[in-house]
Amino acid sequence: MKKAKALVVTAAALLLTACSSSGGFQDTGDAGSASDAKLRLLVNVTPVLTKQFYEDLVKPYTDAHPGVTVSIEAPTAADVSATLQQQLAAGSPPDLVSGSLGRDTVPQLTALPEQQWVKDAPYAEQSRVGGAMWQAGSGNQVQSLVFYNKAAFAKAGITTVPKSLADLTAALVKLKGAGYVPTQTSGEWVTGAQVQMLGNVNVLNTAPDWFAQRNENKTSFAGSPWRQVLETYQGWVKQGLTPKDAMGLKYQDAIDQFLAGKSATFVMGGWFVPTADEAKKSFDVGVFAVPTLDGSPAPVAGNPSIPWSVTKSSKNQAAALDLLKFLVTDKDAVTKELKAEGNFRKGFDYEASALNKEVAAIVSGAPSTVVASNGQGDNSAPTGYNDEFNKLVQGLYLDQKPGTVLKSIDSWYTSNAK
Amino acid sequence: MITLFMLVPIALAGYLSFTDWDGLTPNPQGVGWANYSRLLHDADVGHAAVVTLIVTVVGTIACNAAGLGLALLLNRTSRLTAVLRAVVFYPYVIGPIIIGFLWSAILGANGAIAHLLGNAGHSPLPFLSDPAWAVGSIVAVVVWSQFGVNVVLYLAGLQTVPASLHEAAHIDGAGRWQTFRSVTWPLLAPSVTVNLVLVLVGLLRVYEIVLALTGGGPAGRTNTFAFLILSESFRSNHLGYGAAQAITLMVVIAALALGLTALRRRAEDAVSS
Repeated sequence: MKKAKALVVTAAALLLTACSSSGGFQDTGDAGSASDAKLRLLVNVTPVLTKQFYEDLVKPYTDAHPGVTVSIEAPTAADVSATLQQQLAAGSPPDLVSGSLGRDTVPQLTALPEQQWVKDAPYAEQSRVGGAMWQAGSGNQVQSLVFYNKAAFAKAGITTVPKSLADLTAALVKLKGAGYVPTQTSGEWVTGAQVQMLGNVNVLNTAPDWFAQRNENKTSFAGSPWRQVLETYQGWVKQGLTPKDAMGLKYQDAIDQFLAGKSATFVMGGWFVPTADEAKKSFDVGVFAVPTLDGSPAPVAGNPSIPWSVTKSSKNQAAALDLLKFLVTDKDAVTKELKAEGNFRKGFDYEASALNKEVAAIVSGAPSTVVASNGQGDNSAPTGYNDEFNKLVQGLYLDQKPGTVLKSIDSWYTSNAK
Repeated sequence: MITLFMLVPIALAGYLSFTDWDGLTPNPQGVGWANYSRLLHDADVGHAAVVTLIVTVVGTIACNAAGLGLALLLNRTSRLTAVLRAVVFYPYVIGPIIIGFLWSAILGANGAIAHLLGNAGHSPLPFLSDPAWAVGSIVAVVVWSQFGVNVVLYLAGLQTVPASLHEAAHIDGAGRWQTFRSVTWPLLAPSVTVNLVLVLVGLLRVYEIVLALTGGGPAGRTNTFAFLILSESFRSNHLGYGAAQAITLMVVIAALALGLTALRRRAEDAVSS
């Protein structure tokens, strides 16, 4: 009995300790020294942005700052955000974090100083939540592009790139007639991301703060151009303009199918450029901007590429901010970051491929830039939006009506918006 | 140690299930029973429960039928049976994530079977693209990865059946089926209980294979309960709600495991008496 009591008391004590401790959730970390620190960087690792890439990226900085050591950490959970969450709960958050972070992460980040170098960093201004900037990008990642097989277009008799979604649908029908899978998609996250790429330019072109409006229930998915976009997309599914077995394909399958010349178009972000350039293929790849519903010039939907933030609980605030400044302002570092994924930033040029130059021309010719995916800062969707959107949009492949899908998205959004 | 590694995490999950914690804010706010109430009306939870039920019921029956069947076939000593025992057990020691990716390369729309069918002039089968087929594929892969351990456990159970009883049955003129039904099966009761409970508990928590094979798709139709808990907790940052789901699953698992064990007790008592 005594033993049992002791166990209960121990459990209660441990539980109280666990609950009273706030782990890594500190109000503010120490300023520390900018010249003597051990910095931990939690980064987004991809086939292009490898651990080695980041180590090479920071080496010039550590060479110039012998007292500073940097360790690169890849996500150990599903993504950077989930890993940060776990590290915060465990009481060992990194000093800098690079990746897509939701608005609810902001309380754990240090507000960036109101200095020109921050304001000049891509999407720093758009990252504002409650008036403060939390994230600075190294470049602009375009997320509203249609890559196409030039040989397929020629074979189908398509001489000009589509300007409106109706033009694009007509082109896809011709491509099907020419024996191609008209447009490539797949399961996983790809379905939702592609529909967002088609939708964001058509929704945010007239209401750049659309997510902020939706957060305040001033607009809805069902009552916005999302409806026409989803109806168009479902038309593609019904007409067999997307692969019949799309939901059984993975992202890599979609890339392979397009680069093998089996499919004629591929709606994707600018990060696809290096992959397309490096692939051995029997045709030239071209690119055009995602068309608008009415055929008007399309804005570019973009996100910050390799965005950086400092965690509030970092004990090396000064050193972390100094490294962040290096990563978003140093000419060589920024150029390296841009080149890795084929991204852009005014004033930072690098030797680009022909395809990348086509993307650059789209960016410079676009009437405006709008936020991509789930938005930025105050103008962003609740955490989990991308996954939920993807899941619900895949319902179009299971004969769900666009109206039903949009109603479900609205319902989820309303119950999750803060 | 039990306190530290079992009771504290469970108590902490129980505490979090009554909060709105998002995993990022330092002070979770209490929400009473709201998470549990939401759970009862959440269509995603209902769907995940149905998928989990299908995987568990079909998987438990299939794992045990295949495990027992193969154990009976391999219950003899020869080099071939020794090799075959190792072969059937092998999938069990491979990580579930690897198994998921392996089978997605086989069953995917661009996978090995699709290529074989294509070469033979047939259309690919929608193993992972059609919701019903995808659930069936998950069940098949889960059974393939799990039943090796059932073979081993049933083989161990078969070793405990005295050879003298088989000989006596043979002398009395009993056929193979009669011997199995009247001698082997009753004496395997403890093994059956262990196998049923182990598989049941394992399948109620299926996560990694779903993650690697279908990612919950298409359209979330292959989300199992465990998959939903993880995505709710770490994709949507609803750790409080995810904790409520986890506590619910834990209670269901405990109730089913205890209920099944109690149900099997009569069969086991018959063996010992």
